[in-house]
Amino acid sequence: MNDDDAIEPQHDGPLPVDAAPTAAATRRRALMLGAAGAASVLSIRPALAQATGSVLMCDIPVPDAGHAGGFIAADGAVVAAGTKGAFAPPSRPLKGEDVRRAMQGGGVLPGYDYDRSRAYLKYVSRLQRGTAGFTCFASIQMLRK
Amino acid sequence: MAATRYQAPPGSLLVRALDDLTAVYHRPSGATHLLASPAPEILAALDGVAMTADALMLVLAVRYDLADADPVALAARLDELVAAGLIVAA
Repeated sequence: MNDDDAIEPQHDGPLPVDAAPTAAATRRRALMLGAAGAASVLSIRPALAQATGSVLMCDIPVPDAGHAGGFIAADGAVVAAGTKGAFAPPSRPLKGEDVRRAMQGGGVLPGYDYDRSRAYLKYVSRLQRGTAGFTCFASIQMLRK
Repeated sequence: MAATRYQAPPGSLLVRALDDLTAVYHRPSGATHLLASPAPEILAALDGVAMTADALMLVLAVRYDLADADPVALAARLDELVAAGLIVAA
């Protein structure tokens, strides 16, 4: 441990001209464990992960406004209205809470039968960033973890 | 009784230096944390490696010039990181 008190600069390059001699003296970086009582960790929770209540209040329009009136096929795709085997969209946006429960329990959406719920849930799970309802869906995903 | 060991689970953190602060994205929770020294240094030592507070103190003493090798201060910093969910105690 004979180099702990080395006073020569350890860098090959030039030191800043205003560097205090004492600051340049230490070989290893100094670390203070008890930093004057200040908290060293500041946590930023994304809006998505905020209070459970606000997350569950969100809605997911099915389909999104850009495809209003479209039907939802069994695989979740938006298809032309009246397509055989596809389902008419729900009369109102799905509630985040209902979607979360259905996805968690493998159940159905309130007011809809199994096949229709499945088609709607597939639509939701295919949502992309930037599509209406995506943020709500992402919040649900986060809560499921 | 075995002493508590601390660890940041492997692969759970995405770390970026931001001048004097360090931003840490915690994948499991999706939360971002801003850390000031000595938290990033402690986290780096515990990234994927479980160790007791005593062992951590030794590691930090080897890596850094500790101005205050105070076990109480280190315990307080560890508590902060556990509370933030960045490390786990077992």
